[in-house]
Amino acid sequence: HLFICQALDEANLTRNLWKSLGHKFTDVLCVPERRLLEDSRNLALYPSTGRSDRVLLFNDILVLIQGNTFQSFDLKLTWVDAVWQWKLNQAVRQALSGKRDFPLWGEAGRGRDPPVCRFSSFTFQEEGRFKGATYEGEWRLSKPHGKGTLTWPDGRNYVGDFQEGMEHGFGICLIPRASEDRYDCYKCHWREGKMSGYGICEYGDEMVYKGYFKDNVRQGFGILENASDAEQPFKYSGHWENDKKHGYGVWDDKERGERYIGMWQEDQRHGPGLVLMQSGVCYQRTFHMDKMVGPGTLLLEDDSIFVGNFTRDLTFVGKGKLTFPNGFTLEGTFSSKSTHGLQTQGILDTSGEQDDTAEKLQLGQEVFPVEKRWEGLCSPFLEFIHSGGQGETEEAFMGFHVQTSKELRKSQEYLFCHRYHCKSIPNTSYSGIGANKHLLSMAQEEVKHTGLLRLALEVKGQPSAGGMEERYDLNGPALVLPIILPCFYPELSMLYMLYHQKEDDLYCQGIVDLSLFPDVKLLEFLEVQKRSLVKDRCFLSATECLQKLITTVDPREKLDILQKTYEEIEKTVNRVLEKEYSLPMDDLLPLLMYVVTRASIQHLGAEIHLIRDLMDPTNEGGMYDFLLTALESCYNFIQKEIRLRPSWQVLHNS
Amino acid sequence: MAASAATSGAGGGAAGGGRSFSFKVVLLGEGCVGKTSLVLRYCENKFNDKHITTLQASFLTKKLNIGGKRVNLAIWDTAGQERFHALGPIYYRDSNGAILVYDITDEDSFQKVKNWVKELRKMLGNEICLCIVGNKIDLDKERHVSIQEAETYAESVGAKHYHTSAKQNKGIEELFLDLCKRMIETAQVDERARGNGSSQSGTARRGVQIIDDEPAAQTSGGCCSSG
Repeated sequence: HLFICQALDEANLTRNLWKSLGHKFTDVLCVPERRLLEDSRNLALYPSTGRSDRVLLFNDILVLIQGNTFQSFDLKLTWVDAVWQWKLNQAVRQALSGKRDFPLWGEAGRGRDPPVCRFSSFTFQEEGRFKGATYEGEWRLSKPHGKGTLTWPDGRNYVGDFQEGMEHGFGICLIPRASEDRYDCYKCHWREGKMSGYGICEYGDEMVYKGYFKDNVRQGFGILENASDAEQPFKYSGHWENDKKHGYGVWDDKERGERYIGMWQEDQRHGPGLVLMQSGVCYQRTFHMDKMVGPGTLLLEDDSIFVGNFTRDLTFVGKGKLTFPNGFTLEGTFSSKSTHGLQTQGILDTSGEQDDTAEKLQLGQEVFPVEKRWEGLCSPFLEFIHSGGQGETEEAFMGFHVQTSKELRKSQEYLFCHRYHCKSIPNTSYSGIGANKHLLSMAQEEVKHTGLLRLALEVKGQPSAGGMEERYDLNGPALVLPIILPCFYPELSMLYMLYHQKEDDLYCQGIVDLSLFPDVKLLEFLEVQKRSLVKDRCFLSATECLQKLITTVDPREKLDILQKTYEEIEKTVNRVLEKEYSLPMDDLLPLLMYVVTRASIQHLGAEIHLIRDLMDPTNEGGMYDFLLTALESCYNFIQKEIRLRPSWQVLHNS
Repeated sequence: MAASAATSGAGGGAAGGGRSFSFKVVLLGEGCVGKTSLVLRYCENKFNDKHITTLQASFLTKKLNIGGKRVNLAIWDTAGQERFHALGPIYYRDSNGAILVYDITDEDSFQKVKNWVKELRKMLGNEICLCIVGNKIDLDKERHVSIQEAETYAESVGAKHYHTSAKQNKGIEELFLDLCKRMIETAQVDERARGNGSSQSGTARRGVQIIDDEPAAQTSGGCCSSG
């Protein structure tokens, strides 16, 4: 009853108002559903409320009249400060809820204030970035704040987080391209209205950038790639400055099958660089604005080295020195005419006394100091750490975080999926064409360096006391390697295999020769001292144990396998001899050699060196070092000795 | 490929005021000269049995305290068979000391020691402390290598000579103690030559890990000439 009376009153008041106002007002303001709730003529305002002659409060808007003009404010976007506070707040609350709920007795004073944060839409009129744009989303104290969508008349569109009236947090922005009917799509972190931190941009021309932004441009580390079916497919992984390639970066020319690893400036190759080709040929040169200048070092497929000037299609020009794989050198002036082939005048040195063997030559180490190489990738980690490492900022700094918020969950998960690209960046250098034995040292450095970086992160990630950190410091490599090594392992192990290929081939040949012989003959040949151990089908368990070496990644686990192999050998010996027997090397080494032979692990040389290089330095001189050394000596023996021994031939023929 | 230099001091632990050294000692000698029994005798000593590792006869460790200096000794056995002679360098690289054992009743085994000395001096220079050990002095009646000859030879190559009997546990304790003292001295000379122990250059032998950066204590040459 009360409700009906009040509704009728309001309708009446409103009708009277429309009658009393001029056309200028009613044309705009008079809509059927609108009801007058309060009029300043009926309820006086405080004098301080200003210049308005009259204030009208409707159920959806607040109108301030001054002379012949008026301003209207959407109640949903009105945050009341002082005037008519109770009445206005109630009207705002009702406008927001869309219900004409009347306060009941006994409920007074409760739930009267409308919420500070609201959801509404609004079109910006005033000059500025948002002019003409319509915002739909969460508000707080008359500013977009929270999640929302901003749409500009030209088709630009932002969906994401706002703070204090600006894009801030995570958001997706679509920007139409001028010429075509396509969009650039930025999925990015924002800071005070600008793209800042990690993001992904899918450009309208099918290129994709994944990396860091600052002040709306690409800055720091990032990967730019175009579609694989593009005319000139490429991938750039490296540093950016003011939207341009700048600093250390890796460029893959997928069409030519070439990779450039080196320095950039203003989108051009500039400074020292390495070029790797599909054929395995690689060279180190200095570039100046995309052009090669000065002499360089060229490593050919057959392990000859040319030091001097050469063109991009590998024609020798001018003074240079060519070192053949056999050690002969040719030093002189080279020229080539299309009809005559390569011509040279120079000195051929056939003494073969050359120290620099091309096979093991390592490129890039000196010219690209490891700590500078992936600076852009490292610095966000460090910044994150310095900023106190808070969860919210983690993703913006590092391109990923663990928790995702509701509405943008999907897009963020998309970002999340790309987090691994950060961890595995060095892989871009050394996979595919980059699997070049001349780059092993560079790769090793990067694994170790990234390891240290990760360590810094781990330490910081531990909220507990200083005691923990000390322990981390002491055991750094041991703790960190298991975390990062799996990311690098395939590429790294490939590089080791390439680097040690020749030795591993010889070793495999030795294994093949030895595998022709029955157990007893082999044990005899290896001079196993205890006669009772020379029998068939012994040491199977040890052999099987050693074979597990290739199934692990972590050098610690590999060393554990070695130790278990030793223990299996000892167990077998104790069983056969029917007593406890500690094996001195005179007995252990031949048995280990037998086990290594029977385990016939391919690429054992690569394995041994990988373990040794990545082993925790505290193991040096210790038992693990000893076991690894014993394994290495078996490998060397099989590789070098077998084929040279006439005694073996005797055994072979018998 | 260069092995990474040891930088972490975790292996030695923090010594309370004293200094800590880690040494690698390689054991060389022909098959039946008793080098393994020698070292087993040393490490099996009842005061130290808890330090014996899983690789009980091929790789042994022992902790000592010499004049307040803590020494971690790792003793690497090698196979004596002539067939495996060429594998030597893999084992003795980065060693601080070598114990070369011959059998006093076997002239041939002494010849082998001479070969090893030549090789070690060639590969490792004077950095490595050499001990030439005539074992089996309990069989002095059957001696085929004269004391005079052996000691003169040792002196001529800058090595020290010792007479031991693994069977009767003679001379063994002295041998190792003396070797440790010499290795400490070499390490300290080396450290002084490099200015400071903390910077380990690429060629520095990784076997030496000097933990504390307390200034090097003055060691008189005399303390090492006994034995």
